[in-house]
Amino acid sequence: MTDAALPLQSQADQRAIAAIRRKNAVWRRILRDPPAAAAALFLIVIVGAALLAPWIAPFDPYASNMRLRLCPIGGARCPDFLLGADNQGRDMVSRILFGLRATLGIGIIAVVVGGGLGALIGLSAAYFRRLDQPLMRLVDVLLSFPSILFGLAIAAVMGTGLFSLVVALSIASVPSIARIARGAAQSIMQQEYMEAGRAVGLGDGALIWRYLALNCWPTILIYMTLQLGQAILLGAALSFLGLGAQPPTAELGSMAADGRKFLSIAPHVSTLPCAAIFLVVLAFNVLGDALRDALDPKLRQ
Amino acid sequence: MISFPVLLGVLLIGFLLLQVVPTDPATVVAGPTATKAEVDAIRNDLGLNQPLWVQFGRYLGRVFHLDLGRSMISNRAVVDEIALTLWPTVELMLACLIWAVPLGITLGTLAARRRGTVVDRAIMALSVMGVSVPIFWVGLLLIQYVGGAGLLPFQGRNGPIWTADGFMSIILPAVTLGAVFVGPVARMTRTSLLETLGADYVRTARAKGASDWRVTIRHALRNAMIPVVTLVGLQIGFLLGGSIVTETMFAWPGVGRMAVGAITSSDFPLAQGAILILAVGFMAINLLVDVLYAYLDPRIARG
Repeated sequence: MTDAALPLQSQADQRAIAAIRRKNAVWRRILRDPPAAAAALFLIVIVGAALLAPWIAPFDPYASNMRLRLCPIGGARCPDFLLGADNQGRDMVSRILFGLRATLGIGIIAVVVGGGLGALIGLSAAYFRRLDQPLMRLVDVLLSFPSILFGLAIAAVMGTGLFSLVVALSIASVPSIARIARGAAQSIMQQEYMEAGRAVGLGDGALIWRYLALNCWPTILIYMTLQLGQAILLGAALSFLGLGAQPPTAELGSMAADGRKFLSIAPHVSTLPCAAIFLVVLAFNVLGDALRDALDPKLRQ
Repeated sequence: MISFPVLLGVLLIGFLLLQVVPTDPATVVAGPTATKAEVDAIRNDLGLNQPLWVQFGRYLGRVFHLDLGRSMISNRAVVDEIALTLWPTVELMLACLIWAVPLGITLGTLAARRRGTVVDRAIMALSVMGVSVPIFWVGLLLIQYVGGAGLLPFQGRNGPIWTADGFMSIILPAVTLGAVFVGPVARMTRTSLLETLGADYVRTARAKGASDWRVTIRHALRNAMIPVVTLVGLQIGFLLGGSIVTETMFAWPGVGRMAVGAITSSDFPLAQGAILILAVGFMAINLLVDVLYAYLDPRIARG
């Protein structure tokens, strides 16, 4: 690279950076939206509780005590169990904390792996025009499979369990993120700074990483947040069907399925995990929606 | 929108699914007492020792003749099994759409007309709750409070929908499945309607003295329906997924429940047939959506 090219390149850099800054302002906007701020706060608390589960859980989530079996919330038999006991006499508070840990962990790993792969596909499709058709056809094929079917098929081939669940949820996250990443990247491709970067002789790798990826990143992250809610729901549904986490693992979906048999005598055993899933997914969706609205200039007016 | 490569890809995935299966079909068909020679003979019969691409070609040929093999468990033709379960699934989806889509469109229209008011906020809050709730919780609550009280049946299908017993038995599954569908439809209708309400032709209609509701319904809503139709078409894929949980919970004899049963009992031909029919069904619905587009927006048909 010649010396004369340097100021030009730094100009291109600065424009790209300014575009990123504009998008960062979105996060500040979120904090002024009460439901979104509440959802964010709730999620911080929940993720913290899930991470700290082994230290803050009052009891061992796997220690059963058959004398406390199906003890209701506030029952005289189990004064120490704030939310009662399940069908094995295990403390519901501890099980829900560990269940959150498993359910959130599965969803986050799946969305990071699947979303990362999807982002790579989407960016490549937008940058290398020749790859656009084949890659997007592949994404169409993935999209034409209702994602729960991936879960079923993969559980059939690889056996039921947490690993196949994560694989299935990751694959299910690929196509929608790929589409979003491609859309975002295509609009960045039109920007002047891409042309400027190319003109000063930056290679494909540098253009993709420094300009394209860094500018698409906020959009992709927002859709990953939205996808996370969906991944958690799907994972819980698969575990509920008996194809994901297996009992006695404390995972919210399989806990809900486990408690189903006692619905008429001890509804809290399945209702509490269901409510936990609902609140977490709701918080992710509220936050994701607010982020999306803040990014969409059409709705801002 | 749909095209031949997509169909081929779906078939390829279905085919490969059978290839990665850890159990050897020939051994399963031959049974536990078969000798090695018998297993080899069956493998030869089934064409399992041919190269993969030859097997794929033969597989395509069979699929086009509607020959999807036989269930490993019941030994009945997979096509016959699908034929038995297809109608209950279609019935369940129609029963869900028939109340969820009109309700979603009504709520979305109401929210758009009263934009920014309490009504709008309440409808949007309900809609985000609808997409966040695990479908099995809706089912569990209905089973607990409605089924448990003996108000409505919640186990199985008691006949076709036009009989009284059949109608009663479809209510709870259809409400469960539809509950997760109202929200997205309402939200999409609202967003889309808000965009069209700002369009020039709407202002023209208003200038000509049309009443508020007439403008909303005659001029804006029809144009706003285009993205809503897309969404309904796309969501039907997810509806197929949701119906798996619903059918399993309510012991509804549909394709989804059959697929779960086939997969958990390692009945791979049946499982693969069920997946294929669900994917093809989804694509057929997308085709229908394209046709609907042309009706809603004549520009698409001409262009």
